[in-house]
Amino acid sequence: MIFLLLAQLTVGAQAIGVVTRVSPAIHGRDLTEAYLTQPAVMVDVNPWHDLLSLRATINLEGATIKRGELAPGIYGEGYIDRRHPHTYLHELMLVSMRRFGPDQSSAISLGVGKGFAAFGTDDPMSRPFEKYPINHHLSQILERAVAIGAVRVSDLTLETSSFNGDEPTSPGDTPNHDRYFDSWSARITYTPWSQAELQTSYARVKSPENPSGGGADQRKHSASIRLEDKQHSGYALFEWARTAEFAGSTRTFAFTSLLAETWAKYDRVNGALRIERTERPDEQRLLDEFRSPVPPTDLSIAGRSRWTIITARAAVSLGPIAAVSIEPFTEVARARVSPTLQPAGFDPRAFYGSSTIWTLSAGFKISFGMQHMRMGRYGAAIIPSKAPSMEGMEGMDMPRSHQM
Amino acid sequence: MVNQPPAQHKVKRTLLASLAVVSALSIGCNGEDSLRPPPHSSQPLTVLGNGAVQDRFTGEVWAVGTVAYTTTWGNRGTPGNAVKIWDVSGNVPALIDSLIVPNAVTLGDIQASDDGSLLVVATEFSPGSIVLYSLANPRKPQLITRYTTALTDPGVHTANVERVNGRLYAFLAVDNSSSTLARLVIVDITDPTAPTQVFTQTMGSPYTHDTFVRDGILFIAVWDAGIKIWDIGGGGKGGTPANPVQLSTLATVGGEAHNVWWYKNTITGEKRYAFVGQEGPGAVGSSASGDIHVVDVSDLTAPREVAFYHIDGAGTHNFFMDESRALLYAAYYNGGVRVIDVSGDLSSCDASQRDFIGRCNLAEMGREVGHGLQDGPAVYIWGVQIAGGYLYASDMLNGIWKLSLLP
Repeated sequence: MIFLLLAQLTVGAQAIGVVTRVSPAIHGRDLTEAYLTQPAVMVDVNPWHDLLSLRATINLEGATIKRGELAPGIYGEGYIDRRHPHTYLHELMLVSMRRFGPDQSSAISLGVGKGFAAFGTDDPMSRPFEKYPINHHLSQILERAVAIGAVRVSDLTLETSSFNGDEPTSPGDTPNHDRYFDSWSARITYTPWSQAELQTSYARVKSPENPSGGGADQRKHSASIRLEDKQHSGYALFEWARTAEFAGSTRTFAFTSLLAETWAKYDRVNGALRIERTERPDEQRLLDEFRSPVPPTDLSIAGRSRWTIITARAAVSLGPIAAVSIEPFTEVARARVSPTLQPAGFDPRAFYGSSTIWTLSAGFKISFGMQHMRMGRYGAAIIPSKAPSMEGMEGMDMPRSHQM
Repeated sequence: MVNQPPAQHKVKRTLLASLAVVSALSIGCNGEDSLRPPPHSSQPLTVLGNGAVQDRFTGEVWAVGTVAYTTTWGNRGTPGNAVKIWDVSGNVPALIDSLIVPNAVTLGDIQASDDGSLLVVATEFSPGSIVLYSLANPRKPQLITRYTTALTDPGVHTANVERVNGRLYAFLAVDNSSSTLARLVIVDITDPTAPTQVFTQTMGSPYTHDTFVRDGILFIAVWDAGIKIWDIGGGGKGGTPANPVQLSTLATVGGEAHNVWWYKNTITGEKRYAFVGQEGPGAVGSSASGDIHVVDVSDLTAPREVAFYHIDGAGTHNFFMDESRALLYAAYYNGGVRVIDVSGDLSSCDASQRDFIGRCNLAEMGREVGHGLQDGPAVYIWGVQIAGGYLYASDMLNGIWKLSLLP
């Protein structure tokens, strides 16, 4: 048995060393910081031909970016203008899947564990950029105790999931037992041809920001188009997401995001471009002005700002040498911020010292073994694609991924 | 194209239908109320002057004689860690000085003791505390001590200073955190150099934002759980501040119970009504929501909600009363100040003035008799206080206003 498990064990690891300069970061001051970010160990075990498989991701950001990573405009889980560290146990999902249909292209699956709810687009950690888009909390629901049912019939996939509404409050946090399955989501994906994917999803999340409950509820919407060529050398994503907050049945505020990103590689060189326009709630800040109270002290917000961010990236893939790949990269982003409610309890220009913020990052990503597959889908919801023709493997279904 | 078996066609049709449903759910609507203007029967309050504060957002106000104090909130490029001291002897409040409270970003509440000797300021966030100042010279408060414990963390939202059986207490509404529930902490500050905690209990669903004490009865606003009424020395049940005895609870309609004022008629001594402020969602500076709920507490063990007051597009915050004239002055954030006549029987009204659960609608009854700060610059009124025959209003956007009371 152990031999069987080990034989079917796939392991990978990655980390990114990066230096980031933000100008201005706060009160007209520039900040330059270095991080070891997105350190993760990934394990997949599938010993019984999908009858029962396990996917796990350990994320060590709690140890390496406890103060958060500078990312103007980003927010969530008590961090603001710094990306929060994820929980140590990022994913631990047991999935049982059965394929059916004439060419085994259809499937049904059930997954339970901790991971992504069936909502929105892929996790940014598996996408081209080192810096996350600021719509992370509008476009994904992750690190929840979740049960997911999925069925794929030909080119259509339906997923439904039930999960705990409360967001993590620290890297070591675990989903609250008394909140299990108080929230739900559904996602439908249509794959008109093997390189294109359309999804739309909807979620109702109970009191995500107040672990004990009683905070604002969220109704989330997402729609996206994802394109990827057969050779996995080009990719594009167009995404719309909106989260509306509710106090009881009364709608209060809504936050909308539009995002387009593309990535392409030629030989060892690759580049990417992302354009994002996202509204975020502005909240009170703590003595550490990159932090906000968790939970907030009431149902109100200090303001709402709109961030328009253009990010460009260039990178070079080195290796793999002994299964280790190294990718030096640089990213530059220009963010423009403006309040959408006036007067407001948060004036971005007064707070940052400018309504235009530049971010420059340079570093390298090192990865070993299994590369991140697309994150955020399990079992039947992982859309297979025809792999590029390889001798002896024609027509074999492969989980789609891109190595970035 | 590969022919699919009928069963697969059926499943596919079902999935397509589901896609349509999910897409339809993705289409929402945006409904924001616009602010309803005051009724014709409502008289404008005369604005006498403004003491402008532009470097910080203003929080609560408290006035003693010819000196007023305003706190500050949040971050306006500068954190809300200042208490502004105003000379209000003239029509236009004049800034005398500021106190800076270190290790604080919001000073949400401020109150002087009934004898005018002590000023108490609540601080947020970690480490939460109350700061006690001597008002021997009201124009230059002197720090006595700062009281902070593990139970005042992550922040003291409000500190209500009241005397019970001759001793002075601060009733602290302490914020919840990701790992702790909101709580009430009662501190004996009779000796302000040595504050002593006498009671604490977690409460609030999920917040506890304010308290009101009168004649040995403690009202606590516990958000979606409504209000709690406790005997702390005047309820005849043997309660004390150190050992309160609960008399009743009431879930007010809509929850979000934020603050309470228990009205005492100065002529008849009647204490029939408690007014409960509901703090609904809002965006600082631009929108607010939440009604005033009227609770009949003639039997403190069996309170019942009998009336309400609502303004489209605005929500209430803190109150103060001209009890001799039965006038409730309510801070109404973006709705300015509203004055409501609460004399007589508030539970008697025409059928057309009742809502679907039988509560009387004070607005429909023509009970709004005054309003202020409607016609000038945009305002966001946090609190009001009557002192020396004038009304003082703290405005998060503009500082402090001095107004005439309703004639």
